[in-house]
Amino acid sequence: MSVLNAPRRALGGLRYRTVDLVTVAMLGVAVGVVFWGWTQLYHLVSAGLAVAFPPATGLLGGGWLLGGVLGGLVVRKPGAAVLTEVVAASVEALLGTGWGFSAVVSGVVQGLGAELVLALLLYRRFGTVVAVLAGTAAGAAGAVYEWFAYYPDWAWGFRLAYLGCFALSGAVLAGLGGAALVRALARTGVLDAFGPGRELADREQPAPAARA
Amino acid sequence: MTGVLGRANPLVLVALGLGGLVGSLAVRDVTTGVVTLGAYLAAGTLLLPRGAGPAARYLTVVVGGLSVAWSAWLLGGHDLAVALVAGLRVAVLALPGVAVAPLVDPSALADQLGQRLRLPARFVVGVAAALHRFESLGQVWEQADRARRSRGFGPGPGPLERGRHAASVTFAVLVATLRDATSMAVAMDARGFAGAHARTWAEPAPWTRLDGGVLALGVVGTVLPYALAVLV
Repeated sequence: MSVLNAPRRALGGLRYRTVDLVTVAMLGVAVGVVFWGWTQLYHLVSAGLAVAFPPATGLLGGGWLLGGVLGGLVVRKPGAAVLTEVVAASVEALLGTGWGFSAVVSGVVQGLGAELVLALLLYRRFGTVVAVLAGTAAGAAGAVYEWFAYYPDWAWGFRLAYLGCFALSGAVLAGLGGAALVRALARTGVLDAFGPGRELADREQPAPAARA
Repeated sequence: MTGVLGRANPLVLVALGLGGLVGSLAVRDVTTGVVTLGAYLAAGTLLLPRGAGPAARYLTVVVGGLSVAWSAWLLGGHDLAVALVAGLRVAVLALPGVAVAPLVDPSALADQLGQRLRLPARFVVGVAAALHRFESLGQVWEQADRARRSRGFGPGPGPLERGRHAASVTFAVLVATLRDATSMAVAMDARGFAGAHARTWAEPAPWTRLDGGVLALGVVGTVLPYALAVLV
């Protein structure tokens, strides 16, 4: 059972174990379905915002950033955030969105935003603050892509307002939400093969002191 | 000729979808937008197989285009031409992808990604395996939903309670998914997935002459708005 009982050192290694790969992919698929549901909800909720003040629709954008934050926080390896977000965005695009395959490019850009934060911290910190930073960066990156692809005609003030709304939404929905979700998942035991699960186990049952 | 896209390589379909995105960046005036969108609509009518995917999906393109057009009018100086171009641009961006999405078979796409594009095989197979579990996601959702209801945790009538119910069922589905991922990884490693040196594939990843033709058409469609922008 070397897959599950890998020593702590191996967890921090760079090579993807099979369980890392499969988890990234499965998380991506599950989150992609959630994205699709979020899009349906978004159309209903955002209609009023889109008519009154379009930049405010960014406030609902954070839901699409969850994949990167979740994947990065759970698997904790270089590329996990981007891969999870890209798989999720691809699943959403195949299920059908109004943006076509531009959703996949959005996923790449947003995932890279979250990945950048984790990379700058050398994949060593995965707490709530890091999750919030990753969500913020993902939102900012996503907003910049949308400036070019969807909203090049907006005056600069409105573009910046959109960026602020998207980043704030990323910080709250994807950052705080993602960190809370990872904690809740760890408590169920399904993350035992990963960093969050090991940390929880260590906290609840400290390693016995070495014999004198 | 009709319905060729139904037989096309999934890689080519993805390229068509992304081609719309690349082409849309060149839509800067009404003429370019109208001609490009017209060409896409004509190509779609000719090449898409009948009854592939729900027709309602095109409505989302219209909604997206209208919302972007409205925002461009509101925030871009109340200029009708600007708004019209913005709406056309988003339609050009989204339409090809929305049209071909239901035609893409994920398993065939994975075969092409692994064997033709030579993406890392371990990752491709992992994603393909995850996509196979996609259908069971719906079943897991139904089970969790029914289990909660039968234990008296079903939602009340209000939208807030429904939302809370949906959230807790989503969480249960995530837990089931992650548990599934761990056991699937153990099963795959038990069959030597991690340490394999020479990997074989169950299905071939063919490239036909038709694929080359459709890809060439896609390139024409992508370059078209750039050519028009120069001519107009």
